[in-house]
Amino acid sequence: MQHMASLTRLHEVAEPTAIEVARLSHVYAGPEGGVPALEDISMKVAAGRFVVIVGPSGCGKTSLLMMLAGLRHQTEGTILCNERPINRPDPARVGVVFQEASLFPWLSAVDNIEFPLALRGMPKEERRRHAEAMLRLVGLEGFGGRYPHELSGGMKQRVSIARGLVQDPPVLLMDEPFAALDEQTRMTMGHELLRIWSTTRKTVVFITHSLTEAVYLADEVLVMSARPGRIIDRIPVTLPRPRTYEMMATDTFGRLRDRIWQQIRKTTQPGLA
Amino acid sequence: MTRTQIILTRLVLLGLVVATWELLPRLGFVNPRLLPPLSDVLTMLGQLLGRAQVQEAIWVTAAEVIVAFMIAVPLGAAIGVLIAENDYVGDIFRPMLFYVFSIPKSIFLPMFILIFGIGFGQKVAYAAFSTTFVVIMSAAAAVESVKADHILVARSYGATRGQILTRVYVPSMLPVLLETLRISMIFNFTGVMIAEMYASRTGIGHLIANWGENFQMRQLFAGVILLAVVAILFNEAVRYLESRCSTWRA
Repeated sequence: MQHMASLTRLHEVAEPTAIEVARLSHVYAGPEGGVPALEDISMKVAAGRFVVIVGPSGCGKTSLLMMLAGLRHQTEGTILCNERPINRPDPARVGVVFQEASLFPWLSAVDNIEFPLALRGMPKEERRRHAEAMLRLVGLEGFGGRYPHELSGGMKQRVSIARGLVQDPPVLLMDEPFAALDEQTRMTMGHELLRIWSTTRKTVVFITHSLTEAVYLADEVLVMSARPGRIIDRIPVTLPRPRTYEMMATDTFGRLRDRIWQQIRKTTQPGLA
Repeated sequence: MTRTQIILTRLVLLGLVVATWELLPRLGFVNPRLLPPLSDVLTMLGQLLGRAQVQEAIWVTAAEVIVAFMIAVPLGAAIGVLIAENDYVGDIFRPMLFYVFSIPKSIFLPMFILIFGIGFGQKVAYAAFSTTFVVIMSAAAAVESVKADHILVARSYGATRGQILTRVYVPSMLPVLLETLRISMIFNFTGVMIAEMYASRTGIGHLIANWGENFQMRQLFAGVILLAVVAILFNEAVRYLESRCSTWRA
């Protein structure tokens, strides 16, 4: 029954656009002049959709995410979030979940989750109420007092997700959040993330290296080329929701996974394509 | 071994050292004029603490140590933060500081005497000088121990510069900073002692050097015990703070 919300996604009406990137390019200042990092990126993400970006290492996917978060500035092009431009961090609109070691080790789990609220000067009791609700959402009730070094890798990422969601932003950006986890934990966390997503109905942009993870999670997979990063393929994932582990063994899953792999192979080893 | 066993073993070893110190001279295995029995030394320590001359020396030394510490720590911390945070300053000064850091500071002592004469200023200046470098190195290391990821997280949640400073830099650096305090006090104390023993009219270091030259071994050992106890107490006090402030460190 927790997947009721996601079932309704099958009948998509014209949803408002949560993120719109238009003709975005980025050039780094290198020692010998500018290095093009991102080239002519355009994308639209409808509200409530789960979009996964994959691409070879160094293709600029993390840079793109940093720009969506307002943490870095693109050289050209615009980013709209809920129809307003993003040019600096706006936690009310965008929450970010980083790779593993991003929790503050000197704060307990619940204090980590409260961190964004504390920055806004929200009173202690109100903060605690929000944080406790988030702990329940990510399945960590009763673990709030633990420090990050007392939590497993998967639990740490649950705390990170809770921290990303605590201000209830409509958009959640995730930068390879499960990259440091072992495969079994990673599968479980992917499943958990879909459960959390289906109850909160956020728009998610998720970066990963794992093709299986991409197909399993996404409504749509965007494939990026080697540097300078461009979007070379947009693959709608037609698998029904809720997703199940059994789907990984289906032909559809295999074909989608293979299509992404072929694209990445082409862009990294053009001679072999 | 359990914790109690470890503590017991330590106490037994301490007892052995104490007993050996007491018995070897008493039983004639060691010349008591070279190594007076511990009980004699402790009695002498008690007498010394009652003497006006010794009390004055203690105050002078304590004042020198505290003033030098209060100069060296903020100065070294400011320079250390500057070379770690500012690439330009860091690129220029880092190698020079490393070169000077590697030189034994005591060879500069004659210059300090020429500049400051023999007295309070010379002790403080020399001790502060010899301590500043270790503070610079540790403070730079403390800044570099702040993870870029943590700053990024704070920024992504809209933290201001001030909030990043108080909520990310300070807690990240605190354990290293406390360790810096502890180590810099060791250097600082050593600096004052060397300066006092080299050339001085008062201070504990001066008294110890005098007692040594005059072969007053009971006084000499009493002075050594006094200094050791003070140094250990300070060290343990900061270590206690460190352990309280860094419960989160695995």
